[in-house]
Amino acid sequence: MQKPNANREKIIELLEHAGGVTEDSVREVHEQTGIPEADIWGTGLFYTLLREPGQRIRLCDGLTCQMFGADSLAMELTEAGKAVERVSCLGQCDLAPASLDEAMELVTYAKHKTAISPPNELAMNLAGEVDLTYSALKKVKEMSPEDVIAALESSGLQGRGGAGFPAHFKWTSLRQQAETERYVICNADEAEPGTFKDRELILRQAHKMLEGLAIAAHVIEAKEIYIYIRGEYTNEYRAIERALEDSKAALQEFEFTIVKGHGAYICGEETALLESLEGKRGMPRLKPPYPTESGFRGKPSLIHNVETIACVPSIIHRGGDWFRSLGKTEAGSKLYCISGHVVAPGVYELPLGVSLDELVAAAGGYVGNPIAFSPGGASSGFLPIAERGLPLDYKHLADAGSMLGSAGVVVINDTVDMAKAAAWQLEFFERESCGQCAPCRIGTQYIRRQVDQFIQLGDPVTLAMTADVGWEMEEGSICGLGMVAAKPLESARKHFPDAFKTRD
Amino acid sequence: MNYPNQKRVETFSIEINGQSCRAISGETVVDVARREGIEIPTLCHDTRLEPAGACRVCLVEVEGQRRLQPGCAWKVQPDMKVTTESTRIEKHRTILYSMYMSDHQLDESGLPVETGNGNQLRELCKTIDPLPLEPVNAPRAGRPEDVNPYIEFNPELCILCARCTRYCDEVEAVNAITLSNRGGETTIATAGNRGLLDTTCELCGGCIATCPTGALIEKKAPTNLVTLETEVTRSTCNFCGVGCQLDLHVHNDRVVKVTSPEPGETVNDGNLCVKGRFAYDFIHHEDRITTPLIRGADGELRPASWEEALEATANGLMAVKARHGADSLGFISSSRCTGEENYLMQKLSRAVFGTNNIHQCAAT
Repeated sequence: MQKPNANREKIIELLEHAGGVTEDSVREVHEQTGIPEADIWGTGLFYTLLREPGQRIRLCDGLTCQMFGADSLAMELTEAGKAVERVSCLGQCDLAPASLDEAMELVTYAKHKTAISPPNELAMNLAGEVDLTYSALKKVKEMSPEDVIAALESSGLQGRGGAGFPAHFKWTSLRQQAETERYVICNADEAEPGTFKDRELILRQAHKMLEGLAIAAHVIEAKEIYIYIRGEYTNEYRAIERALEDSKAALQEFEFTIVKGHGAYICGEETALLESLEGKRGMPRLKPPYPTESGFRGKPSLIHNVETIACVPSIIHRGGDWFRSLGKTEAGSKLYCISGHVVAPGVYELPLGVSLDELVAAAGGYVGNPIAFSPGGASSGFLPIAERGLPLDYKHLADAGSMLGSAGVVVINDTVDMAKAAAWQLEFFERESCGQCAPCRIGTQYIRRQVDQFIQLGDPVTLAMTADVGWEMEEGSICGLGMVAAKPLESARKHFPDAFKTRD
Repeated sequence: MNYPNQKRVETFSIEINGQSCRAISGETVVDVARREGIEIPTLCHDTRLEPAGACRVCLVEVEGQRRLQPGCAWKVQPDMKVTTESTRIEKHRTILYSMYMSDHQLDESGLPVETGNGNQLRELCKTIDPLPLEPVNAPRAGRPEDVNPYIEFNPELCILCARCTRYCDEVEAVNAITLSNRGGETTIATAGNRGLLDTTCELCGGCIATCPTGALIEKKAPTNLVTLETEVTRSTCNFCGVGCQLDLHVHNDRVVKVTSPEPGETVNDGNLCVKGRFAYDFIHHEDRITTPLIRGADGELRPASWEEALEATANGLMAVKARHGADSLGFISSSRCTGEENYLMQKLSRAVFGTNNIHQCAAT
């Protein structure tokens, strides 16, 4: 059936095929779709992978890549005559510094490989054997939807994308909607600096994600499933394609569509993701209405992060209580990404609520003299190493003025200037702000500018107004990006006041 | 909570600043507040457009909500309690307006520049004691090469509320302009940054009318229009039969600008087309014909009174009918006529002259 606005949904992909945004490509897509040229132009220029056609190396300037010499690598590459573009975190922090080559294939410069937990009895068991039986889906078909949701509720599963919202609420809400056209959407737009857990999950256990999605679709009575994956994840896109090929028979009643992102961190925010799916600029919507009521195409939509939905098959197999008992301070096991100054950076599945020390012990120990860590991506700001015993879970970190977020943990030792570390994170938010609302658009520019000036001039007076501006960003922004974008500076100043004193 | 499918219309009361107000389901906090005379500032709000909640100027406290919420978009619910003035809101406004100022062209007095179309941000900034924020110098691009005769865009005065682009899309369905780029680089653009004449733009100028800060202005209008003493005269546009109402801004007996009355007041709901808004030069043009002219036997046109002109026309037409029959005549009325005038024209054709040869220039 032809959907209303079906042509609009196509324009981003068509622009990609046409090689990015040019006057000609925009006219071409306009002729193919009938969508106004201005709308295509404005949408295309929102996305970094579309806005400047031409091939070049995309070199990450995320926190960990910067800590491991991305700047000097950029210089080397440029001197060697290569075209280099600095881009936001590529989700390869364990292999820092990282880049994509001209054909968007991954090139990393770390000497080691990604470390992952050895085979275990936990929910994800990344190193375990791949299960192609789809037996949890079969089991669900024998169960009532209420029983499935009850299992989810007793498991205590919280959204693993960052918000920590109890998963079962969304499923229940979806089932209560009068509208019967419903969608399941998987958020694989993993782009929070420091985070690469969904990457490993997709590469190693994509079937857990697919099975979870199928179970969700069965329970909420949806047929169409969309997987929105960041455009920089070339290998992971292929892994999902392969997994779908391998599970054709088991999943034949569902219609899967993989949609590529095109370089916009904000599209990991669920309503911005919906806008992007609909072929628009990825600007977050006002909430309410929530996606469970009015989501993709204005229809009820169940949106889950890759890791959240991949927990579902094990919960079905072994029960909610089993899953809950895997956790230490909160329910379940959790994929922790760790990078920065540790011996073996990678993805570790551990009980939810382990401390930094426990996590780093799994990752082979600290390198050098650690002074700080960022527990949940750029959005979580920084904590002093004194908090190394704090449970890394949703509640304890929130109480400490930080957040677990996507559990992208970065450890920083005394070789790093904390003002500089804050500036790197601020630059990220400035670049990734969608520009829709003033507090975020102006605030991210202002704060980054002032910190740069402080680093240049060494005069703390440049930071005099940043706390007020940060307050307004948190109070006044539309979405979570703006709300947390001042956090790196605020937390660094709070915990590392010496780094912000007058410099010579 | 917003319920988009809510159909039943209910009336109930809500509380704003402790004052009980009547509200109707589907209304927003700003709708109710405006009716009650309670001031909530807005910039990105236009009653003709879907609420965007983007400028954040209208944030209010809603009981039970942790975050401040946009009054322009927040739907009323029975017994809802809203606060529009508090120390928290005052702090929010002070910092937000200060941030806007750091991203805006200021005049010598340190306030946002006043344009020929005013600047609502300037008025808001007068209500606070602004923080001294350094300018952010956002790299927003304009279209300096755009040679269209009517519409000028100054990115330094743009607050990116997107009223113009939403108007162009939601009201006019023209989609000539768009938000483009991202973050601090966000600007108002056309496809390929072409001049408006090379886009779908119909030069209706509605973008100018909806712009709250004067980032979009009429190229033709005097830049000091706000301080210039003008008299406003309500008139009816005579370019077509719709009957759009116009406000003629008159200075020294000359029309210097034309606007529509506010949305919701007249049939045109705040909208005008390119002719109504911009084609007023004829009023004072030296070639304008101001009395009827009759061509004499010598071939020269001479001024005449309406009585003389009508009589000459009637005599001429009756003479043609007498010599060649009624069907040798044909009547065409103008698209500038109203329905009533068109009716009279066909009556003239059929009843007076006895022919069905009647047409209207916009009929085909």
